[in-house]
Amino acid sequence: MKDIPRLLAVVVATGLVIAACAPAAPPTAVATQAPAATVATSPAATGKPAEQVKLVIWWWGEQEAPGAQKWLDETVAKYTQAHPNITFDTVLQSTDNLELAFQAAAAAKQGPDIQYFWAGMGFLQNAVWSGAVKPVDDLIPAGERAHYINNYERTFDGKLWGVNWYLSGNPLVYNPELFKKAGLDPSNPPKTWDELKAACGKLNAVGVIPISGGLKDGWFGGWLFSMIARQNYDSEKELVAASAGAAKFTDPKYAEYWSRLNELKEAGCWNKDINSVDYQQGQDLFTQGKSAMLFGNDTFLKGFADTMGSWDKIGLMLVPKYGSGKLADTYTVTGQGWGITSWTKYPQEAADFLVYMHTPERLAAWFTDTGVAPADDRMDPSLISQPQLKQVYKWETTVPGPNLENWIPGIVDHDAMMTGAQLLFSGDNTPAQLAQMTEDVVVKWRDQNPDAVKNFVILAK
Amino acid sequence: MLLSQPVDTMQYRKFEPWLYLSPALIALALIYGYPVARLLVLSLQRGSGSGASFAGISNYQQLFKDYLFLGAIRHNLTLLICVPIMIVIALILAVFLFDRIRGWRFYRSTLFLPYLLPITVVGLVFSYVFQLSGVLNDFLKLIGLGALALDWLGSTKLALPTLMFVIIWKEVGFGIVLFLARLMSVDEELFDAAKIDGANWWQLHWHITVPQLSTVIEFFAVISVITMLSWVFNYVFVMTGGGPGNATMVTELYVYLEGFEWNQMNIASSVSVLLLFVTGGFIFLELRVRERLGAVEAVG
Repeated sequence: MKDIPRLLAVVVATGLVIAACAPAAPPTAVATQAPAATVATSPAATGKPAEQVKLVIWWWGEQEAPGAQKWLDETVAKYTQAHPNITFDTVLQSTDNLELAFQAAAAAKQGPDIQYFWAGMGFLQNAVWSGAVKPVDDLIPAGERAHYINNYERTFDGKLWGVNWYLSGNPLVYNPELFKKAGLDPSNPPKTWDELKAACGKLNAVGVIPISGGLKDGWFGGWLFSMIARQNYDSEKELVAASAGAAKFTDPKYAEYWSRLNELKEAGCWNKDINSVDYQQGQDLFTQGKSAMLFGNDTFLKGFADTMGSWDKIGLMLVPKYGSGKLADTYTVTGQGWGITSWTKYPQEAADFLVYMHTPERLAAWFTDTGVAPADDRMDPSLISQPQLKQVYKWETTVPGPNLENWIPGIVDHDAMMTGAQLLFSGDNTPAQLAQMTEDVVVKWRDQNPDAVKNFVILAK
Repeated sequence: MLLSQPVDTMQYRKFEPWLYLSPALIALALIYGYPVARLLVLSLQRGSGSGASFAGISNYQQLFKDYLFLGAIRHNLTLLICVPIMIVIALILAVFLFDRIRGWRFYRSTLFLPYLLPITVVGLVFSYVFQLSGVLNDFLKLIGLGALALDWLGSTKLALPTLMFVIIWKEVGFGIVLFLARLMSVDEELFDAAKIDGANWWQLHWHITVPQLSTVIEFFAVISVITMLSWVFNYVFVMTGGGPGNATMVTELYVYLEGFEWNQMNIASSVSVLLLFVTGGFIFLELRVRERLGAVEAVG
């Protein structure tokens, strides 16, 4: 008799353990509080009730284009009003977690239906080559797709694997007032590399930091590579080919980047604490009026103007020239965008929602809310009133060039470009040593990733 | 009475303890056993899932050709210098507190406070303090020591020692409290006898205190070694990200980067297995030391 209660206790305890070990329910997304839509964009469906569809969207972008959250909430609300059977869960990811969370979701084949991706190699490796996203060719008509800007960043093997959302470009931003203070002409910013170095000297003479940056968290090193190294290339494919082994990063065309960056360092162009501050702190030196120039991002321009109190304190220029490759005269721009996951039960519904994002009303609302150009040539340019943003849009649509950081393996970006910039500014390595280090990292990547190398060869063609 | 019990009940009683242990054993197997086994399998493969192929020890061979991994090991071994420094500092401060200097209770709480703070908070605060234009350098310039205002986190030569300072600052409190607790259980007659024999402060503590604390010192040393080898990720990630120029790369961060940034799960698993064996060895050592500590306290 005594044994029965004991046995019961064991059974209950075992049951509790098994229940605890059961797969967890899919994480409930932090649903964003969508404002009530005020305008119905299309009549609600009538007739027999449609299947209830829930689309989960994991996204990033508020960090880069403030106002994106408001726009997305409104977009979701309007779409749901027009399609009452479709609801959404939107989850804003942190920068460090965006790719990690997706990799975990891809491994488990559950999670988002629509995922935000930065363009380029990260997208191709983590999403396309791993089979985690679907091509959109069969889901979105060709005529519609033709309007999206920078499709080449999401094209592989003849198919389009994602939909771009907005454009993110990298101008060299300058403060016209500080230029005047240093005796520089703000309406005629430096156009050549020597003019840039000379400008650094004049700015130093009046106690102004010429160019500010922060390398401690690494990101900025990759930006410098994208914006400065491009001038010897005709196309991003030259980088892809070099990564695949068709050329060496010690070749003069590729190695010159380190010498040019070193020239800026030797010319005293940078804040002395560049290695001990983060990217954001380096950027803050510009908005605080302590530095005259910033290798920046055009999605932040509206925020800069708000912080600095006036658009008059913001001027824009292309990176001054030293090289003669076709990319030397181009504006670094990438399309941030979306992918439809391969495990979603509702690929067509997901695609239709992405198409809705590109309707004229939504494109206009996007620009109004964020000040950032959408990745669509149907945006009405007359919406842009600020001269600086007009200039950015003109560059993005007339002289766009690839963001080079997107066309090298991730480990080369981190271990060579980011780390290399830190070593250059700490004085530990010469430009020649850094070029060799880049080549060593690429060789290591090729040894560890033979399958990816095959894809790089395809991409380089 | 035993002879009157049926044989099957006796058989059942033999297995009964295992029945009660089974829920915990199942939980342990699922939470610890399966991930470790999976880690081992991944470390011997190339690729994962249906695309995985057996790679033998090639991942391990690649590791030892990777300058970044070798650098990470070197940095972890350098961090071991913190251990004797922490022991000495903790010992000295514990002795001062044991001597009941005025306000010793307040000092005890203050010295232990850093240990209670989250590493992320400590890392963030000190990363601002140690910037080239940070609080420390501003203070040094203010008191006329501007020559010492260095780029603590931005220099490849100074970043690791700076990290070590922060780790010592945070972790030493645990040692102080451990040593003080042990000191308070030492028989006071030993100290009285030594004083009567004319021992000075140094002789007293070298010949009485240190031997009495030997097992606790060993315990703290083992725990600290395990910390330096496999529990410094937060410090490095928050304060330097492994930089500048990989000057503060450690094995945990290497695992994180290989596994989650560069999708090299097999390489990351190999490093994890190596770390597991090394720290497992130290944990076994720590358990033996704790046994001895328990035996000493039982005798005391």
